Amino acid sequence: MNENRRQILEMLAAGKVNADEAERLITALESGSGKTAGEFVGSVSGGNGSSGATVKTRAKYLRVLVEADEDMTGLKGPTTVNVRVPMQLLRAGVRLASLIPAQAHEQLDEALSRHGVPLTLSQIKPENLEELIDHLEDLTVDVDSRDECTTKVRVYCE
Amino acid sequence: MIPNFAVIGVETPEWHMPRLWIPLFLLWIPVILLSPLIFLVLVGVAIAARMTIWRVIAIFWGILSSLPGTHVHVRAEGNQVLVRIL
Repeated sequence: MNENRRQILEMLAAGKVNADEAERLITALESGSGKTAGEFVGSVSGGNGSSGATVKTRAKYLRVLVEADEDMTGLKGPTTVNVRVPMQLLRAGVRLASLIPAQAHEQLDEALSRHGVPLTLSQIKPENLEELIDHLEDLTVDVDSRDECTTKVRVYCE
Repeated sequence: MIPNFAVIGVETPEWHMPRLWIPLFLLWIPVILLSPLIFLVLVGVAIAARMTIWRVIAIFWGILSSLPGTHVHVRAEGNQVLVRIL
């Protein structure tokens, strides 16, 4: 049984929601798997006066979609990029960064600042990065150019 | 879950390659057979780099098992590249 379904059933058992509300939540949860907002939040008010019970599903993928026409890129024809990266891979990648030897940090910091990214790697702790990735789930970026060039950029979690 | 298949597609205006389904699960056979050797190499690398071997293995295993679901599709100037890991 998945975690969200169990959570709903526990809410039902605890009397926070009634059977109809639990059914609605489960239905919404099942149909909400394709939502693009990164999460589904079902909110119900309990039959016994309690309110604000929420069910949250974790986003599985970070999605980046780019559509740009030739005026924007200077390339022939439209350019599209469609990338889907599992959030788990981002987490694993962050852990990979912890393998970078301490003596390499200084060189990396220099190289990053030379390229306009003033970062001090030694000050970034794995737990900060984990937190950052957790908060990525709430991220939605929509860029839609309305000028002569047609460019669309979407970054979201699903 | 470890990746089982990789789908690779490359297309240019002049040339079209049929999508390749690469059975990654077949790679596990040589990997298992060579595992003692691979382990020794990893131990050597970990000692040289002053890292804990188990940590290195855990991190690489984490990356490997989180690869399924990755999808990259880029199209520019009539060229297309698709990489999917299943």
